[in-house]
Amino acid sequence: MPNNLENPGEQPELRRDVTVWGSFMWGFADVGANCFLALGLVLGAAQGAGTLAFALAGIVYIMIGLAYTELASAYPVAGGGPYFALRGLGDFWGFVAGSALLLDYTIDIALFATASAGYLNYFFPFFTGHGIEEFALNLGPLKQVNPLWCLEALTIIAILIWINIRGVKESSSLNGIIGAIVILTEGALVVMGLVLAWRPELVAHQWKAEFPTLNQFMYGSSLAIISFIGLESISQAAQETRRPASIIPRTSIALIFSVFVFSIAFSTLGLGVLDWRIFAENEGNPVAVLAKAIPYIGIIAGPFTAGVGALILFISANTGVMGASRLTYSMSEFKIISPWFHAVHPKYHTPIRTIWVFSLIAIIQTLLSFLTPSAMDTLANMYAFGATLGYTLVFIALIKLRFSDPYTPRPYKIPLNLKIKWRGQKVEFPVLGVIGMIGVSLILFEVILTHTIGRIAGPAWILLCFIYYAWYRRKEGHPIFRSVERDWEREQIRVLESAEEYELLEQYKLALAEKAKEKR
Amino acid sequence: MTPEVQLSYLGILLAIIFSFSLGGVIWWMLRVPRAISHEVAKARVSVSSFKRILVPTLGMPYSEKGIELACRLGHEQKAELVLTFVLEVPRILPLNARLPEAELKAQEALERAKEIVSLHGLEVKTHIERAREAGEGIIRAAMDHGVDAIVLGIRPRLSLTQDMLGRTTDILLRKAPCEVIIDKPAA
Repeated sequence: MPNNLENPGEQPELRRDVTVWGSFMWGFADVGANCFLALGLVLGAAQGAGTLAFALAGIVYIMIGLAYTELASAYPVAGGGPYFALRGLGDFWGFVAGSALLLDYTIDIALFATASAGYLNYFFPFFTGHGIEEFALNLGPLKQVNPLWCLEALTIIAILIWINIRGVKESSSLNGIIGAIVILTEGALVVMGLVLAWRPELVAHQWKAEFPTLNQFMYGSSLAIISFIGLESISQAAQETRRPASIIPRTSIALIFSVFVFSIAFSTLGLGVLDWRIFAENEGNPVAVLAKAIPYIGIIAGPFTAGVGALILFISANTGVMGASRLTYSMSEFKIISPWFHAVHPKYHTPIRTIWVFSLIAIIQTLLSFLTPSAMDTLANMYAFGATLGYTLVFIALIKLRFSDPYTPRPYKIPLNLKIKWRGQKVEFPVLGVIGMIGVSLILFEVILTHTIGRIAGPAWILLCFIYYAWYRRKEGHPIFRSVERDWEREQIRVLESAEEYELLEQYKLALAEKAKEKR
Repeated sequence: MTPEVQLSYLGILLAIIFSFSLGGVIWWMLRVPRAISHEVAKARVSVSSFKRILVPTLGMPYSEKGIELACRLGHEQKAELVLTFVLEVPRILPLNARLPEAELKAQEALERAKEIVSLHGLEVKTHIERAREAGEGIIRAAMDHGVDAIVLGIRPRLSLTQDMLGRTTDILLRKAPCEVIIDKPAA
């Protein structure tokens, strides 16, 4: 680690390098890859109703996405969900949301690096004549330990650390190029599959004859939410996005739409091309199996999709490193964790310490998960817990901020608002925010009910983080359950100035002047 | 074994819908409105800050043009319009003296003015202000309603001698508690 770090007290700003395409790709690289993981798992659980499971989780995801769009464009800073929770509900809830999402980011790094290596292993037999599973060992009580696959995953994490320390511009460009290739590939697969291989009668048959039980469906829909996790990435990159208030609503809405369409398209296509059992049997590479089943192109599309899958899962792991490091940077700024994390590299202006620390946690998670019979299963099991808990808090913060901060201009507002008067001021009550909060709470309930590892490891992680949080806050003389005093108005002016969102800045100043006038 | 081709009209239709919707949304995303400078933003917001606009009317065409202008000025930010008819009471009469003809004229002028505002869907308040001088009446109404701007349409031809609207304009420009916008149509 370099020892010539800038003084944290000087608080150097993150560079605003991310363009509209870069912002979209930060999100798509993260969310777009989930389909490569979730398709087999969801169809395996929800069977003939797989598309319905994706659609139900997708509706909740759309509401989450719209809430993020409103908040990220109104508060374009690097904190994402935890910042919104902190701003709306106070420091303690900001910490809870932060630690929940931090769990997800570290798992994201470990899981997607492992999955990326898994897709690369598709080519393993071509070079060695052996499948990767043949290298698995039984070490006493530990069964099916695969050190070679583990080593591949760790190498990928090491590459990601290097890329991210070099700076967001490099990794953003990487995301942009690879993301574009992935969109084109996924799009071509869907179009070619629908035209050449799709049988509507097979979809209808599987729906009718292979409908799951309620428990199976609940498990399937709670897994389906995994395919939408990652929207947070756009908010996390907000402080590095040029003109965030103008760009973020567009990139978020485009991301919500495209990911929803892809997940529905892949599940519909899958159930119209192959029996759901084939996806269940090939959980490791369901999209490649689907590609292989398309006439004419299948023979090339199979390995090509495996290659693309490895790439997109790689950049998804990259957004995990990016998200974890930006999140901790923001949490340290707001005295949730130590300012030791706050230092940025003098040359590359990247939060080097947070990149190192949380990538190391991801490395530990990877090592531990490979001690279980299925590393992927173990990691995926914990994935949904952090996200759904964080999203629930974001919805509550959205509702609260409509009341406590109606002055901040919102370039985008979620639809369905009820105009009411509250303590003498006009407030728009977000009805869709309440519906979204109920929806995501139900999924959190499903996760706790059906994910055996997630329901224990998730709360245990939060508890561990709380012990650190309580120790740090007490050491610094800050309250544990109450918030540190902050001048949010000055902070908002500074943020809008630095984002060069001058029209919003002037609107905000005007709203503050009117507020002062009303007080007089 | 090569998989069999399975063509279906529904599949082709879904593929077309998928392609156009995905392409369309990415095209829309990339067309970000261009950035504006701080100075331009200040100029834009300074006009958007007119949340309540007072328009004096005499029921004359130039006053009504002033109302239309005010409506367009307040359209984007959904401003509230305060339409005021200043009833000038001669000094030989008490301020609350009954003036049936003038009051009827004021009501008619305000009704027409309201009709103009209703075409723009803006909130409107009407008000008859009794005063010795039109200018002072307007200023009092502006202060009472806490308006952000006054839009005044004046007659196209001003006489060389001091006439009513010329004097009103002068008082407003000197004493108004808010921004004053004057429209003088071409003679």
